[in-house]
Amino acid sequence: MGRILRQIAAIASMNIRSIPQRLWMSLSTVVAIALVVAVLLAFLAMGNGFRQAQSSAGAADIAIMLRDGAQTEINSAVTREQADIVEEAPGIARQNGRPLVSAELYVIVDGVSRSSHLRANLPLRGLPLAGVALRHNVRIAEGRLFQTGTNEIVVGRSVTREFEGFDLGKTLRLGQSVWTIVGVFEDGGTVRESELWGDVGVVQSVFKRSNFFQTIRVRLASASALPALKAYVDGDPRLKLAVESEAEYFSEQARQSSDLIQKLGWPLAIIMAIGALAGALNTMYSSVASRGTEIATLRAIGFGRIPTFVGTLAEALTLAVIGGVVGILAATLLFQGYSASTLSSNFTQVVFTFKVTPALCGSALVLALIVGVIGGIFPAFRAARQPIVGMLGEQ
Amino acid sequence: MNQAMLVAKNLGRRKLRTFLMLVAIFIAFFLYGALECFNRAFHSSENAASAERLVTVNRINFTMPLPVNYAGRVQQVPGVRAVTYQSWFGGYYKDQREPLFMMAVDPATYLAVYPSVQMPAEQRRAWLANRTGLAVGKTTAAKYGWKVGDRIPISSNVYMKKDGGRAWEFDVSAVFSDPDDSAREGLVLMGHDYFDETVTFGRDQVNMIVFSTSSTKQNDAIAKAVDALFANSEAETTTDTAAAFNRAFAAQFGNIALIITLVVATAFAAILMIVGNTMVMSVRERTREIGVLKTLGFRSSTILGQILAESLLLAVVGAVLGLGAADGVILVAGKFLQGFGSNLQMTAAVFLGGVGWAVLLGLVTGAVPAWSGMRLQIATALGRR
Repeated sequence: MGRILRQIAAIASMNIRSIPQRLWMSLSTVVAIALVVAVLLAFLAMGNGFRQAQSSAGAADIAIMLRDGAQTEINSAVTREQADIVEEAPGIARQNGRPLVSAELYVIVDGVSRSSHLRANLPLRGLPLAGVALRHNVRIAEGRLFQTGTNEIVVGRSVTREFEGFDLGKTLRLGQSVWTIVGVFEDGGTVRESELWGDVGVVQSVFKRSNFFQTIRVRLASASALPALKAYVDGDPRLKLAVESEAEYFSEQARQSSDLIQKLGWPLAIIMAIGALAGALNTMYSSVASRGTEIATLRAIGFGRIPTFVGTLAEALTLAVIGGVVGILAATLLFQGYSASTLSSNFTQVVFTFKVTPALCGSALVLALIVGVIGGIFPAFRAARQPIVGMLGEQ
Repeated sequence: MNQAMLVAKNLGRRKLRTFLMLVAIFIAFFLYGALECFNRAFHSSENAASAERLVTVNRINFTMPLPVNYAGRVQQVPGVRAVTYQSWFGGYYKDQREPLFMMAVDPATYLAVYPSVQMPAEQRRAWLANRTGLAVGKTTAAKYGWKVGDRIPISSNVYMKKDGGRAWEFDVSAVFSDPDDSAREGLVLMGHDYFDETVTFGRDQVNMIVFSTSSTKQNDAIAKAVDALFANSEAETTTDTAAAFNRAFAAQFGNIALIITLVVATAFAAILMIVGNTMVMSVRERTREIGVLKTLGFRSSTILGQILAESLLLAVVGAVLGLGAADGVILVAGKFLQGFGSNLQMTAAVFLGGVGWAVLLGLVTGAVPAWSGMRLQIATALGRR
């Protein structure tokens, strides 16, 4: 057994060290595998970034109420009366004696994308100051918060980054009304940063939606208070609202939309991997052919079939690993943190950044290794089964 | 033994290698064909939208309403031919997760603005006469198995009925096609009157006004005149060509065209490496033979031509097979992707573009080995092992 291992090590190291002799063929395999890995990783990082922007926004101790069956905020509708009833519900946290309840209006306004220079849908959320307070992670990064009863808005960091004209101090014309941007807020890069926030009363009157909201958010006394709140809402026939935690709501939104991106990445990468596999097989067969005499010589001086087989496979795996690592490095350098936006199920833009993670790099490397194994195994069989006498005599 | 036979013999000498190169080329052109067709189908409404059609929406955003009476005022603007209006209904049939592309429209003016929408005359009459009538695009009709005369319930995830119900009852009056823009064949059209009389809010309001003009040259001036008409009013407007409006909407999903270009470019870069290097290696192996051919009196230019012919043949055969496979796959995919309809198909432009890229690929991958084969000195060639 020890002898076989020593033989394997000897042949593998000889094969790997001789790769530079077959530089161009080997390089073409490395590049092809690197490109496949980079494409896969770019798609996975895009899907992951998009999902995280949404799922990390949801808090377990914030409950969101939508019209029963609405599924998304934009399709929901809630009346003033319903909002008043909810204030009396159990399990809601209080600040200065007031329940932390936020009835919010959600309308869509135009922004102009910095990259395409085309108009895109942005959400303008009308909410009370209590609504800002109940979102714990939000902090004002520049300027200040809007004041109740004024045409002031604060904008998310992602909005200022991806869309024109939303910098601090700028004014924004929506129909007949002019709004001043008094602050920029941050929320760790989540979907909230893709929103514009203004006072709910002013937004209602400007958009002629008085006494009309889309959603109610409440801060729970604790995450475990959700069932009690749910029971209360379900028990009141005037409410007809669906209650869930914000964490549940956002993870459902994320699941619906990022699925598509992930479903695209893998088939594309697998199809491309078949092309790279053809290249790898080509390279390895030609490597075996060019080492014909060498292999026969080794066999003649007592090296076995198994070490010959494993040695060839090791060469293919080495190329695959180099290709995989190069692809991972390239994708990380090019795409990590790359900012993009797309249309969410709320019919507005969600700005997100590509997120390459070790786990995603791992799955990309697995694809590279699969190409390496399949690309090495058949040529390795040929190497192991080559007749000694024929190869030595051929020259 | 003629030239063509020599080329064929050279490709056939290592069948496995030739096959593997064909696989690599096949994959790259399969991706090119499928993705390019998808890209064109995705952007088809930008091209199909008749250049003389203009779209007026609320200046704040196209989801915001406009008063329905704006349509009549647009009609008064000189150069405007036919005007119609429509509202997004947010309809779905049984399964809320599968939204219908459903609009409330004014049937008579709709058909005047979209003359390419075709339906049998008696169905047309029925749709115009029936308040609860529905005109269904043929792709959607086929998907749900709806036939003229069916009575179907459709719910809205935006609107509620005045009587508190969620489901509207419709009669399928017509099934239409649109040879100019097959994406339209995914639409479901209800009457705006029925919409106005049943919804709890949004009555006498529309999402967009669409109109045709008598001359595309006047479009810019007409668009400005329409927007000026509503300046400083409760609902200001913005007017653009239908093509520009659709382009902006498609761009909201992201830069699909750029993503596709990057993926296809990556696939091409990979095969360029693989095929290019394999061709170099394959010609190197034949050095002695080339020497022999030259000794026999074959001209250098003939050698050059033969090697180029070999790489060209390889590239074009692989490309045609790949494009053919892409054609088959998108035909199947088109049946599952609602909203694309028969737009998802292999067009002559995509096919010929692919063949053009294949010729370029063949020339580039053959260039280095062909050049070195041509320049080869007989003495060197016969001496080299």
